[in-house]
Amino acid sequence: MTLSISEVFEKMFYIFLEPLDIRYDEYDMEAAISFEGTISGDVRILFSREIVMAMVQNMLGLEGDGITGQDMEDCSKEAVNMVCGNFLSRLDSTKVFNLSSPSFKEPGDLESGEDICRMDFDSDYGKIGVMVGFSLTQMRGSQP
Amino acid sequence: MSFNVLIVDDSRSMRAVIKKTISMSGFKMDQCLEAGNGREALDILVKAWVDVIISDINMPEMNGLEFLEELKKDSLLKAIPAIVISTEGSEKRIQDAYDLGARGFIKKPFLPEEIKKVLYEVIGVSDEGKYEEDKENDDAFDF
Repeated sequence: MTLSISEVFEKMFYIFLEPLDIRYDEYDMEAAISFEGTISGDVRILFSREIVMAMVQNMLGLEGDGITGQDMEDCSKEAVNMVCGNFLSRLDSTKVFNLSSPSFKEPGDLESGEDICRMDFDSDYGKIGVMVGFSLTQMRGSQP
Repeated sequence: MSFNVLIVDDSRSMRAVIKKTISMSGFKMDQCLEAGNGREALDILVKAWVDVIISDINMPEMNGLEFLEELKKDSLLKAIPAIVISTEGSEKRIQDAYDLGARGFIKKPFLPEEIKKVLYEVIGVSDEGKYEEDKENDDAFDF
């Protein structure tokens, strides 16, 4: 997952991420996507406002005043879409996974459990958190 | 020689990025047309001449694979080279796209050079903007 996150942020947003050793919870927005296949689950990316502004600037070439809420939503949704797609093809490129349309909202529950993997990253522009949850029921019921 | 490109993606930002990336790559683009899904793209193709299509897979209303299927049914439209650009990385989905007539596949995230390379490959034109057969003729006179 770390490789997928780095590849997407470096190639599309020109942002270099460093893993954080401590947990960070002060995020401003969240984009999420779910996937279904031989395993199912969801990927959530939590963003600080500053990093989303930088993503829009770097991806679309827009400057501060020209950036709209819609631009920020679009970029965040594209990021989670690409990270999830990249992660699943690295996980097993022989399997087909169906991805939902990405959603965008204020950060939801940030608690991680045994079936949720949580990572936080820092950059020159701000922080992101990534949460990956797997649906254990479907994993157990899936074909090997 | 420059080319008309149709970009089909439900994300306005991604369409803007693809357009910017093509411009940055040095590919000789004339008109850049945009559609939010396969249905909108078909409406554009009725009215405008397009040299190459770049389409996402996951889109509402008519997705990229359904769009390729529609192109394949039309004797004129099936001649337009179509490139699929998607986060989808599964071998089966990529093969499905090729089976439906796609001539190239670009995986998101992408670099400008990747887009340029595939664009020139599918329309059979060299980096200098010459058709491959012209280039061969040029080479014949290269003493």
